[in-house]
Amino acid sequence: MILLDKVSFGYDGRETLSDVTAEITPGTFHFLTGPSGAGKTTLMRLLYLELLPTRGRFELFGDDPAALGPRRIAHLRRRIGVVFQEFRLLDHLSVLQNIALPLRAAGKTVDEHGDDIMDLVRWVGLEHRAQALPPQLSAGEKQRAAIARAVINSPDLILADEPTGNIDPEMGARILRLLIELNRLGKTVVLATHDLGIIRSTKGMVEARILRLADGHLAQGASVL
Amino acid sequence: MTQSEDRPEEEAELAPPAAPEAPKPTVIPGLTGRRAPPVLPTTGWTAWLTALSAGVMCLLAVLTLAASMAANRLASEWRADLAGVATVRVSGPGDGMTERIRSVLDVLRTTPGIATVRVLSDQEQADLIAPWLGQDAAISDLPVPRLIDVSLDGAGPDVDALQSRLDLTVSGASYDDHATWRAPLAAAAAALERLALGATVIILLTAAGVVSFAARATLSANKHVIETIRLVGAEDRFIAKSFVRRLARRAAIGGFAGALIACALLAFLPGLDDGLVLPRIEAGEQLGVTLDPGLAGWAALGIGVPAIITMIVWLSARFTVQMTLHRMP
Repeated sequence: MILLDKVSFGYDGRETLSDVTAEITPGTFHFLTGPSGAGKTTLMRLLYLELLPTRGRFELFGDDPAALGPRRIAHLRRRIGVVFQEFRLLDHLSVLQNIALPLRAAGKTVDEHGDDIMDLVRWVGLEHRAQALPPQLSAGEKQRAAIARAVINSPDLILADEPTGNIDPEMGARILRLLIELNRLGKTVVLATHDLGIIRSTKGMVEARILRLADGHLAQGASVL
Repeated sequence: MTQSEDRPEEEAELAPPAAPEAPKPTVIPGLTGRRAPPVLPTTGWTAWLTALSAGVMCLLAVLTLAASMAANRLASEWRADLAGVATVRVSGPGDGMTERIRSVLDVLRTTPGIATVRVLSDQEQADLIAPWLGQDAAISDLPVPRLIDVSLDGAGPDVDALQSRLDLTVSGASYDDHATWRAPLAAAAAALERLALGATVIILLTAAGVVSFAARATLSANKHVIETIRLVGAEDRFIAKSFVRRLARRAAIGGFAGALIACALLAFLPGLDDGLVLPRIEAGEQLGVTLDPGLAGWAALGIGVPAIITMIVWLSARFTVQMTLHRMP
């Protein structure tokens, strides 16, 4: 699903990611960890195709993103659901409209997916806030809406970049449970976090692999939780 | 009573059981189609700027084109009036004038290209000079030339040959085909049309420029929104389509409002002396001067101009948005 072979990324002569080699297979759960500035966000941005590597071989779903045009990149992104630390909901759209956004972007008839959207809204526990605008939501509610948006298109891969970074621990645990549930449903999940406590809290709940980054380098091999 | 109740009992028993109704999918209003909100927020000053600039540009374009149409109409009417007629002026002392006129008429009637000839009466000549000398002027006492109206047949006579024959026949007779008047009139009308066309092009370019600026400003202000929309799998054309459609709609509203105001101004423009222009249109028509463009003209100004402005806005916004999105990383 994801193949990184000596992948590097840098700008202005400085490399923020160096010779990263890893393989992420379908249906697995990976934690990407390391201290701030280790390159976690850069690697995540590479994975959700916001950046392209400056060196090395990178394959996603069997495609080399560097060889694809904007249209194919857009289609590839529809197979990825992204959850950001800062939520990235559109403030002028309601919760329902934000969740439906990937369907609209994919040119799907949103009305036909009304049941899916409502199921997701219930699953993330936001049925009472469905018509609210993001500025009216708490941080936890925003992140749950973001998770619903990330999975509405039924993506193969879910990338979560510090998804619990801006929310309280109780809500963080709830977000984590949602991501683990998605993994049990067969989705591949990559969760970036600097918080080792979060990783420890999932022990026994999910069979996860841990990728450790430090100064842009990936520690040799991946440990299993 | 229903149909099934009308049927015999055995027939009702043979009827297949009704198929269970398929569950209807939940339809959530406001998520798609026309009711769906724009993916890019297009409210704020740029929205007003688009509608306002389209309105102002439409107003200016309608007024400019109306003036151009009036000038063109006036020039056409004058040209048509003067094109089929000519005048022969017979000057000289009053003694023997009747004889000279008769000789001129003889020449004219035997000239190919001339249909009819008619000597203007004393009263008609008096009317012509009345604005300068008053109605009481005694034409017979004044050394004014006598005028002969000539209506032409087809392309008219060979002017040089005719003038030579007149010179040989009568002294002081000159043939005037109004070419001296028509040429500068045609040039002035053409210049006015070019001027109006130039002004209209400038107006359209200004509209395109303002909209392009507003579109760039909106995209720049929503850079993070665009990044997010792209990350959920949107192609740039999806973003552009939604954004451009809304800009064009605003331009159309502003444009039609501007055209409406301009048409109202044309119809009810305060006159120079009394009342409104509209009641004076009839009087103006006698002179060949009116801003009333006629039914087709009103339709062109009121519908055609805002439609063209909307099209220009749409093209300009589409081009700007596509270029800006293409340049975005």
